[in-house]
Amino acid sequence: MRIIKLSSILFFLVFAVNFVFADVAEGEKLFKANCTSCHAINEKIVGPALKDAHKRRKEDWLLKWIKNSPGMIQSGDPIAVQLFNDNNKIPMLPFLSLKDSEIKSIISYIKQESEAPAKTVTAAADQTTASVTTNQPKGFYRNTTLFMLLGLALFLVIIVFVLLRIKKSVNELYAIKHPEKAAAELQEKTSEYKRTLNYKLFKKHPVVGVSFIVMGFVIVLGLIGFDYGNKVVGVQKGYMPTQPIKYSHQLHAGTYKINCQYCHSGADKSKQATVPSASTCMNCHMHVTASAKYNGNVSPEIQKIYDAVGWDANKKAYDPSKTQTPIKWVRVHNLPDHAYFNHAQHVKIGKVECQACHGPVETMQVVSQQRSLQMGWCINCHREAKVDVANNDYYVKLHAELKKEGKSSITVAQNGGTECGKCHY
Amino acid sequence: MENKNNYWRGLEELNNDPTFLQNKKKEFNEGIPLEEVLTENDGDLSSNRRDFLKYFGFSISAVALASCNKAPVKNVIPYIIKPENITPGIPNFYASTCGSCSASCSILVKTREGRPIKIEGNEESPLFKGGVCATGHAGLLDLYDNERLRAPKAEGNDVDWNTLDAKVKDGLSKSKNIRIVSGTVNSPSTKKAIAEFTAKYPNSKHLSYEAASLSSMIEANNKSFGKAVIPGYHFEKANVIVSFGADFLGTWISPVEYTKQWVTNRKVSNDKRAMSRHIQFESNLSLTGSNADVRIPIKPSAEGVALISLYNKIAALAGAPVLSGAQNVEFAVNMIDNSAKELWNAKGSSLVVSGSNNLDHQLLVNAINSLLGNYGSTIDLDNYSNQHQANDAAFEAFVAEMNNGGVDAVIFYNSNPAYSYYNAKKFEDGLKKVALTVTTSASVDETGALCKFHAPDHHFLESWNDAEPKIGYFGLTQPTISPVFKTRQAQESFLRWADNSTEYYDFIQNNWKTTILSGVGIFETIWNKSLHDGFYIVAEKSASKYTVSSLPSEAVNPSYSAYTSSKEKLEINLYSKVGVGDGTHANNPWLQELPDPISKVCWDNYATIGKVTADNFKLKDGDIIKITTKAGTIEKVPVLVQPGQANNTISIALGYGRTTGKVSKNVGRNVYPIVTFNNSTFNYISGDVAIEKTGNHYQLPQTQTHHTIEGRSLIREASLNEYIKDSKAGNHEKAHMITLWAERDSKGHKWGMAIDMNACTGCGSCVVSCSAENNVPVVGRKEILNAREMHWIRIDRYYSFKDKNGKKTTKEKEYDKAETGADFENVKVTFQPVMCQQCGHAPCETVCPVLATVHSSEGLNQMAYNRCVGTRYCANNCPYKVRRFNWFKYRENDDFDFNFNNDLGRMVINPDVTVRSRGVMEKCSFCIQRIQAGKLKAKLESREMVDGDVKTACQQSCPANAIVFGDMFDPNSEISKLQDNDRSYVMLEEYDVKPSVSYFTKIRNVNEEVAGEFKGESEHEAPKAEHTEHHS
Repeated sequence: MRIIKLSSILFFLVFAVNFVFADVAEGEKLFKANCTSCHAINEKIVGPALKDAHKRRKEDWLLKWIKNSPGMIQSGDPIAVQLFNDNNKIPMLPFLSLKDSEIKSIISYIKQESEAPAKTVTAAADQTTASVTTNQPKGFYRNTTLFMLLGLALFLVIIVFVLLRIKKSVNELYAIKHPEKAAAELQEKTSEYKRTLNYKLFKKHPVVGVSFIVMGFVIVLGLIGFDYGNKVVGVQKGYMPTQPIKYSHQLHAGTYKINCQYCHSGADKSKQATVPSASTCMNCHMHVTASAKYNGNVSPEIQKIYDAVGWDANKKAYDPSKTQTPIKWVRVHNLPDHAYFNHAQHVKIGKVECQACHGPVETMQVVSQQRSLQMGWCINCHREAKVDVANNDYYVKLHAELKKEGKSSITVAQNGGTECGKCHY
Repeated sequence: MENKNNYWRGLEELNNDPTFLQNKKKEFNEGIPLEEVLTENDGDLSSNRRDFLKYFGFSISAVALASCNKAPVKNVIPYIIKPENITPGIPNFYASTCGSCSASCSILVKTREGRPIKIEGNEESPLFKGGVCATGHAGLLDLYDNERLRAPKAEGNDVDWNTLDAKVKDGLSKSKNIRIVSGTVNSPSTKKAIAEFTAKYPNSKHLSYEAASLSSMIEANNKSFGKAVIPGYHFEKANVIVSFGADFLGTWISPVEYTKQWVTNRKVSNDKRAMSRHIQFESNLSLTGSNADVRIPIKPSAEGVALISLYNKIAALAGAPVLSGAQNVEFAVNMIDNSAKELWNAKGSSLVVSGSNNLDHQLLVNAINSLLGNYGSTIDLDNYSNQHQANDAAFEAFVAEMNNGGVDAVIFYNSNPAYSYYNAKKFEDGLKKVALTVTTSASVDETGALCKFHAPDHHFLESWNDAEPKIGYFGLTQPTISPVFKTRQAQESFLRWADNSTEYYDFIQNNWKTTILSGVGIFETIWNKSLHDGFYIVAEKSASKYTVSSLPSEAVNPSYSAYTSSKEKLEINLYSKVGVGDGTHANNPWLQELPDPISKVCWDNYATIGKVTADNFKLKDGDIIKITTKAGTIEKVPVLVQPGQANNTISIALGYGRTTGKVSKNVGRNVYPIVTFNNSTFNYISGDVAIEKTGNHYQLPQTQTHHTIEGRSLIREASLNEYIKDSKAGNHEKAHMITLWAERDSKGHKWGMAIDMNACTGCGSCVVSCSAENNVPVVGRKEILNAREMHWIRIDRYYSFKDKNGKKTTKEKEYDKAETGADFENVKVTFQPVMCQQCGHAPCETVCPVLATVHSSEGLNQMAYNRCVGTRYCANNCPYKVRRFNWFKYRENDDFDFNFNNDLGRMVINPDVTVRSRGVMEKCSFCIQRIQAGKLKAKLESREMVDGDVKTACQQSCPANAIVFGDMFDPNSEISKLQDNDRSYVMLEEYDVKPSVSYFTKIRNVNEEVAGEFKGESEHEAPKAEHTEHHS
């Protein structure tokens, strides 16, 4: 009972806290989506550190500033001008789309973070380690059930063995005590034995028996082989190579919610989704060094980008004396050369989510291949997916025809999407 | 019956040669080359126990390795800083100027991820109108030749540019007589760079040298009009064209420009039932001659007499003074008479040209054109051509000067006289006396091998340059790839040696700023627009009339003596082939593999001899002969008995027998040694030739007899007169249609093609274009002999006799051997490009056991390579014989050393098209990758497709606009408008395989009947209306 009581109290508390700090959570989300590329709580990145910003400025001023800082600078607001000059005259982007309530929740997030000093980074680090353990149980524990079952099986085998030994000993004792009875029984057993299928197949017609067994083997092995060939050979589902930089999609796409196509900019216009050039990384990482986590040093992984592009983190400038070396990423999703796949067709026209083929990338620390990428898998989707005939003028004629036939939609396959020449040429 | 059965592909078919008859029964020329395939990678076929164990062990470990499921790790290497306008996967097109020859056509270069993969025509160019020739297309492959020099060389050692510059400059400063020997330079900025050089070294001279020279034309125009230029021609304005051996559709001056012009007057339609008349006098059957309406075979020595007769006839008609001293010769009287009348009737809109490099001939041609008043209309001396500038006499003087020790420094730019000068020994001896020898050639050619310093030039796709092929038309060349090797533009080399450190790009800009674009507006705007368009045009000058004031009477006597002295004797003329040309591009595998448009021979040159002459000397195809002229001897030349060749003449192509280059080395025979120098020009003809049979035999790699199409109605033609009366002339035949198949239902698009046989000149541009677009492998001489060529598009060439009425025409087995051989001089030629016909009811599809070739809803006959198991049933069942089988892994096999077996060469591969492996079938796909790309573009732009969104590779750069491709379901497309044309027919209609490719009847502007009267044969007659009524 005590436990129930305690937990209900706890539950209530958590709920209440959640309720109270709902806007803090909202603020955190907004902060991470909009502010982190230039601001941190405890350090200056591009813009100033935001610790105690709510104390330094009035809320009205902050609301105005965040919404339209260039306007305030132009209008000659003394604090605004001062701030602009203090920060190398780099203007802050206007956030006209943020509502007052949203800005307020960002402010309350800043307030909370200011009061809990220097915790953010470690918290984030904790979060990452935690997710590693939950996502990927390691070593012995991953296979506990299997080990238990194996142990149990071994135990049973031992029991069977012991029982068989006992039975044999008892039979021998019986034969010593009643030799006649035992002989008669043996006689009977042999004649009966002659009638069994076992005798007929293997003793009288061994070829037939062996053929059966061989056939059985062939069928079983064939099935296994077919299954193997079908599901394993050339199929790299689960392929999770180590990349030259420990880049986490979970952090960038998951936590920070950076749009996939910000980096993979070819996805909506080209055959290739394209891996971003190092200069794309530098758009943010010119400022984001994660140094708070590494005692003021640049994160070793981010340093790899700097080495690739020849950036001097101390001078905050490109160093022309450094040689630029491209980053050799390992390709995770490989299609054979004879299969033509075009990202633009699927992303822009088919409006297929990236996750449909690549899995929940935004939750992956290390990207792995989640789907088999086999032809059958492609075809399945082509059989089910509908062509968006209404919203693309390319399909004007087809749309009109469908309307005439009284149909509302057509699948990709019905529109010729399973023909060889659509992917193989 | 119409003109069925009159066509033959070669003499062996006509004569029913026993070997030919035997071979044609076989589907494939040879059995399966099991041995070759097995020994493709290692030693011998015989194996022993140890080998068995090795293979056994290998297969076990291979299986074990395979089952480990370890795919090779593939890397993605993005740019460090992505160039703004390059997105991987999206091609970029750059307007540029072709540098393969001095015609300087405007082109577009298609690049993917910063490497050029295809050359296309620039359709916006008013001069070249989107055409590119075979040589232009193939120029791309030269970029990826791994024999190019990787760095400059000084005395045999690789050095850096500074060292080279220092040494060269040191040598130049010590020199008293410097010579720059170049090919034709039509680039104003290059000329200025060379001028800077000559300003720095005032004792230097620049001279132009060309292997196949037109020097006499320039001289003749200088003599006649005081203008030492090659005029601009307007074939589109000419209603009557008479050409004396000028192959203006194939190799003469600016073939793409002229083909575009010529074809505008050759295309006919129901609304325009008129075309120009084209008469050709020549000795070897050239591409232009084979497209002429009337072709008169003459000996080269008769050209002068023919021109004099023509001049006098026209002068008589015009009432002008005739050439005195003209004797009566019974030479082709009728034809000269007729030509004169026709020309005179079309005066002002006629054109006479000659390809001869003989000053007298060119003077006569000028006089004739002047009489006809063609200057100012079809010939333009004000907007003249810069495409040939060689001066033979100057070069001859230079060689003499070298031998006298009068030259101490020479720089070769874009020229290779050690190969193409007739007296190579004299040139070599002279060059040895020169202290400083520098070449800018990209690889070590024959001249390069004799030079001390190599300053390798960029490929034109890596360079900045400009060109002025015709006065007022300026082309710009821009780099489409960073230099592959440590090469430097020749122009920049000239500037550096002249102590000018300007980058050549800035140099061109400055030059344009001060000359071409000075005072015409804001420089940056016009420059950027010109760079974007690829050309800049200054308003054309108005063409003024020119007249020849003095009669070229000095031409009379030499012409007559040449004619009479060699009357019954054997003569030889040297010509340039389409593709390999003068030999500059002989090291290009695509060009070597391109069958000659006429003979269909690849990878060789040969002596073409007429049938009568061959019979006289008892020569057959492939007999090896020795040819002796006054100038020298050519050993071991194989004979090709060529219909259309003038009697008592031999012709051999220039440009073969190179001694350098992995591809060109020892291919064919070098015939430059029998070129002579007289009357201030190089002379490519010789009289008094002796030939000697060696008794040896050699098989020429010829593609024409690989497939036979028995006497079926594949070619349909009519004369213009017949066509004027009846637009269906020659095309009445209709087959009964009985089919087992249900109609196919197509949705969205239905792709179709129409080929106008009146326009197609057979130039072969489409063949090379297709090879580049579709990664078609080069197979080489040996495999061509095995009939395993891989081209997806071939151009069938058919001969037929002049007269169609009964006797002289040839039915498969009814050739009348009693006919005189004279007929063989007068063959008609028809070209027919054949690619996969994308049949609606494709016979190949029904026989494929693994469904590797199936039909698409857009009317395409698809080929899935990864399904194909190589039974070759489809090839057996294809009535058009367009399927090709991969006998080898051409890309990875060093036996096929044609640039694709190395990493550099493989950069030319189109990444959107699968590279086929050994053991699979392939064929024309209608450029499905382009169809898909066109559809995607329309979808991304959310619009319906329009005609022209998709152009196949063969269609895009066709210099004759012979190919139309498009969506037959789109009522606005050109193809759907052409579908019901009266001239349209499909090949082998009686099979009812419903091909998507239709052909257009060939119309000849001749007086005699071609099609003949249509009588209607019962079995081929179209079903009559009353029949249908009766049955219903």
